[in-house]
Amino acid sequence: MSKQLTAFARADERWGLRNHVLILPLHSALSATARKIADESDGAVAVSHDWSGEVDGDFDRIIKTFSGFAANPNNYATVFITIGTPGELLIIDLAKKLGINKAEVLNVAELGSMSKIAGAGLKIANSLVKEAKAQSRISAPWSAIALGQECGGSDALSGITANPALGVASDRLVELGAASVLGETTEILGAEHLLAARAITPEIGAQIIETVARYERSINYEGIDMRGAQPSRGNIEGGLTTLEEKSLGAAKKAGSAQFSGVLEYADQVPKSGLYFMDTPGHDTEQLTGFAAGGINVVVFTTGRGTPTGSAIMPTIKLATNTTMASAIPDLIDLNAGTIADGIKTLAEVGGELFDLILAVANGQITKAERGLHHEFSLSRMYNTVIK
Amino acid sequence: MRGFDHGNRGIGVRDHQLILPSVVCSTRVSSRIAKEIGAITFAHQHGCGFIGNDVGRITDYFAALANHPNVSSTLVVGLGCETIQGNELADKLLAKNKSTNYLVTQESGGVQGTVDSGVAAAKALQAYYQPTPVLLPRLHLGIDLSNDDLKVDEIVAALTSVGVDITVAASQKNSGLNFSDLMESGVHVILSFPDGNQPASGFPLIPTINVASNSPLHLALSDDFDLSADATNEEIMEKIYSVINGELTTVEALGAGEIIAGREVRSV
Repeated sequence: MSKQLTAFARADERWGLRNHVLILPLHSALSATARKIADESDGAVAVSHDWSGEVDGDFDRIIKTFSGFAANPNNYATVFITIGTPGELLIIDLAKKLGINKAEVLNVAELGSMSKIAGAGLKIANSLVKEAKAQSRISAPWSAIALGQECGGSDALSGITANPALGVASDRLVELGAASVLGETTEILGAEHLLAARAITPEIGAQIIETVARYERSINYEGIDMRGAQPSRGNIEGGLTTLEEKSLGAAKKAGSAQFSGVLEYADQVPKSGLYFMDTPGHDTEQLTGFAAGGINVVVFTTGRGTPTGSAIMPTIKLATNTTMASAIPDLIDLNAGTIADGIKTLAEVGGELFDLILAVANGQITKAERGLHHEFSLSRMYNTVIK
Repeated sequence: MRGFDHGNRGIGVRDHQLILPSVVCSTRVSSRIAKEIGAITFAHQHGCGFIGNDVGRITDYFAALANHPNVSSTLVVGLGCETIQGNELADKLLAKNKSTNYLVTQESGGVQGTVDSGVAAAKALQAYYQPTPVLLPRLHLGIDLSNDDLKVDEIVAALTSVGVDITVAASQKNSGLNFSDLMESGVHVILSFPDGNQPASGFPLIPTINVASNSPLHLALSDDFDLSADATNEEIMEKIYSVINGELTTVEALGAGEIIAGREVRSV
């Protein structure tokens, strides 16, 4: 297989591994209209969400998430559907500052109704899809890849097969000049000191420790012991015994490279190096934060099996065990269970995964993409209910 | 007033089969099943990664959705490893309503397997449940009062005088959260007075009649509202009766309607 990477060139030396036309509703009530446009179009994608413009403690975080998601380099264009509130207009402005490739704005109030938006949106979406299809990939440097690491539905083999295999592929990509990001703060609880020891400076190491402690404080403040929720029921059924076992296994995704920095949720990911991003373990909140940070491909390791994907980031599913990979093959792109079966070595599966990441980066469609799994979740810090 | 006898769920004004994803991970599978059989579903971001009171809160919320009087039958679709276990939720629902079933993707052969089994299970539920048109003995109307400046005393008095039960939700500053509160109290129809800076919106299982204000946004979006700001009490009451008897609200016709469930603690 050719080891040449090809991608879509964007401004500021950013690169897209896909050329999506994203229909982005900036108010929850516009979600159905956005979905309708995408469903009827020649290949545009859309997301739904539950934000109605609330100006509360989470406002900045949500604005940052939407603007980053819109500006992700995998988007050829983003069609914003807006009712035109100041918060929504701020999202569009910030997306432009982040170097969005192409932005179209459909203002519901100017067009007069949601059904009129659906008609106008479909026309624009199809013309953008046509433009996107006409653009060609060109040869790209390894720094064009920003890899996100994710695990969900972990089991007893996660830390032995799939996560270390992802670590092998991540190390190789980082060495070549790509960026790779570990997230899921709640799932490295208990293993943070090991990651901190791999930071390029003591300050970054201290930041890793503090990021985990800060998350725990934000939950303990509510009078709840976060350690009581981990490992989850599904994890225990999958054979995980303790939080430490889960965390030590989860941390394996990041391989053995040094950490070049710590990122806040949805921060823009630098071009090269291994980073830690503060995200919830919640799979779709994490995926959304990754996308908002500009990550353009994800490897998602899973023990129990999950269909979840992203509207804009190809999400490669790596199974930890052969039993699950054979039982639900339409969710899994590659099986690392062969390591535990004694059929392949860790290095071999790590190499297969590296090749698969490259193939997917070059355009090969993942199972989650084929199934149109476009889940999207906003990560909020504060309560949304009057207690 | 036309109604549908939904057994222990009560008498509803719509006859919706609900495909309920018990976790965000099964929303796509649910939407494929729903599309194939003409049922109702919706995307949401809940079901996993939460702790504390939210586990009970969201479980109760899902149970209220599945047991709503406008629902004929419910198919719960879970993933398998989530916090809210689909089978436990379904068991809880089955204790009250026999027209409930559940499926778990991790035990049903993956996405296609779950869609196939889900379509079959949903059809079996349809066959089990035969719609029985009846008269609605008493209307339970929900009023979403997100628009502070508005007084609804007059319309409330007029409706109460003809025997309508009314629940007003004004505690949340957001129509979506008010809708959720009203859904949990089992209202048949929602009369929504959104804030002047908010568009018309709705709730998937409950017909939502949107009344505009004279705000610039509402005037610009007048087509999306069922009634204008100057609608009389008689016009409002007439609209409520037509909607009960089958007329689709503008938001129902658009297929719009997201669910917004309140949370106490951030995700883990």
